[in-house]
Amino acid sequence: MLRARRRSWRLGRSWRTRAGGPRRRALIAVVAALVVIAPIAWMWIDSQMPSSYSVEDMGTPDLGGGPGMDHAGMAGMTGTAVDQLREPPGPADVDVTLTARAGRVTLPSGRVVDGYTLNGTTPGPEIRAVQGQMVQVRLVNENVAEGVTLHWHGYDVPAGDDGVAGVTQDAVGPGGSFVYRFRADQVGTFWYHSHQVADPQVKGGLFGALVVTPRDGLGDTADVTVMTHNYAGRRTVNGLEGDVPAAGAPGQRVRVRVVNTDNGPVQVWVGGAPYRLAALDGTDVNGPTPSTDSLPVTAGGRADLEIDLPADGAGVRVELGGASAVTFGRPLPPTPRPAGELDPLRYGSPAALPFDPAAADRRFDYVIGRRLGFLDGTPGMWWTVNGHLWPDVPMYVVREGDVVRMHIENGSGELHPMHLHGHHAVVLARDGVPATGSPWWSDSLDVQDGHSYDIAFVADNPGLWMDHCHNLAHPSEGLMAHLMYEGVTTPYRVGGDPHNDPE
Amino acid sequence: MRTTYRVLAWILAVEVVVQAAAIAWALFGLSAWIESGGVLDAAAMQAEPQFDGVVGFMVHGLNGTMIVPAVALLLLVVSFFARLTRGVAFAAALFLMVVAQVLLGMFAHAIPSLGMLHGALALAILVTAVMSARLTPAQRPVEAPSAAVV
Repeated sequence: MLRARRRSWRLGRSWRTRAGGPRRRALIAVVAALVVIAPIAWMWIDSQMPSSYSVEDMGTPDLGGGPGMDHAGMAGMTGTAVDQLREPPGPADVDVTLTARAGRVTLPSGRVVDGYTLNGTTPGPEIRAVQGQMVQVRLVNENVAEGVTLHWHGYDVPAGDDGVAGVTQDAVGPGGSFVYRFRADQVGTFWYHSHQVADPQVKGGLFGALVVTPRDGLGDTADVTVMTHNYAGRRTVNGLEGDVPAAGAPGQRVRVRVVNTDNGPVQVWVGGAPYRLAALDGTDVNGPTPSTDSLPVTAGGRADLEIDLPADGAGVRVELGGASAVTFGRPLPPTPRPAGELDPLRYGSPAALPFDPAAADRRFDYVIGRRLGFLDGTPGMWWTVNGHLWPDVPMYVVREGDVVRMHIENGSGELHPMHLHGHHAVVLARDGVPATGSPWWSDSLDVQDGHSYDIAFVADNPGLWMDHCHNLAHPSEGLMAHLMYEGVTTPYRVGGDPHNDPE
Repeated sequence: MRTTYRVLAWILAVEVVVQAAAIAWALFGLSAWIESGGVLDAAAMQAEPQFDGVVGFMVHGLNGTMIVPAVALLLLVVSFFARLTRGVAFAAALFLMVVAQVLLGMFAHAIPSLGMLHGALALAILVTAVMSARLTPAQRPVEAPSAAVV
């Protein structure tokens, strides 16, 4: 036994030190190099996407504990195509044509930047409708080489009008046009923006406001729309820098509709008078009470502030992140940000929900993480959904009429403003603490790092809907999934000839 | 291969210097911009404000997440062929330190105190890279002549 071992040691030694030595060393080196490189190369190859693909084929179906998918809903089978889910043609009460242009843009402030305009301006024209009216918007692309679309952010339009390139339509190329039609059933503050190459196009100004007023109007309340946007790193309000005076008589009530068109949250506070948070994300808050706290407005989110202007004409400032302000009355110096923050989870009065979240048909998880890997061949630290890198993300499958609950959890190290298309969800709890205020309906929800939200919604708008982060740099880094109704298909593909690129 | 190993190790050392220089430029530029009236909040941060030094942030981010890890990986692969005393050990240590450094850089945004480790580890990478560049060739296994004859 001992002899045998000694013998083999001798043999091994002689093999290593004589003729076989350098060859064996080289072999070990090659194997070691392969051990390091091969998994990386495999991950790289595996991550590459074809030049065009259907989002139907993307990810892993997640039924959320509900019934299985009808075969008609599977990719390649027949079902209802998303472009069939549209309003029929007919007369419109609000009929607008928006012409998109790319190039050097002069902002209302006079500053010149590289960007985009709609009908020659950025922000684009505000579209106003009265509840119940039919809205028709014809988008014309004059010269935007990469194509454009319009997405109606926060408006639960029919799926075929959602304006997502490669999912609900092809990007509109130069010289082309597309007509959007939807009934203005929701009252409130919304906005529209391109969902083709969305990050640079929205940053560059391809957006505008959509305001729907109640049938019986707003009475004597003055109505001010405030779109905050950073153009080339400069904070603006409706394209203007610094203090922006707005119309409002002493003693009058004003409704200030703040629309955050940027990729990060904006803190809004009011100096000189208290305010009531009248609406969030286009939905009225129940029983709003006066507040002097700072209000974080989510990227893509909207907040309607109601302020009673002082009868003596004293100044009021609606401060937007401390960088710019909308002012009323006599001049007032800038006011510091209040220490307190308004928390919609506890603001306003509770009210009954139109459905019972406890009787959910489907329960989904949307857990956001981050890890090293490849995304379509590019190495980096990418976002993960439920532990997997894009495109291996969940495809949330629902059936029309389902009550759906979703648990959103963020352990990725950064804030994510989560935006579900085509639906409004009610916030049930944050970090397991139930909501106690007014029903908090949201379409753009800031999920802070290390926190979680439980939300619920009714699947009442058949289609194929994006559910993504509205820090528009993040979807192209993998933070994007879809909500798919059983039996709904899409004839459109990401990539391909129209160069559809929704992110 | 030995030369390649040494060149890569020196590149890694120089990269640490570039990273330190870039982030210092960026932070001084940021404070100068704020002093002159610039306002930084989450929305502005995402919108890439323009000031002297903002390039430093981009260099630090791109360099740190792409080029430095790529160089460290190449060094590890080359180390298998370079036949330097403890060459593989040093390259592997550098690679692991670089991976840890990238992760610290990411998660310090959530836990700022990790930034202290990020700064300290940078110096450790610099020192280890310089030591790697100065490693001596491995001694060829001596063929004991008398033993071989007998």
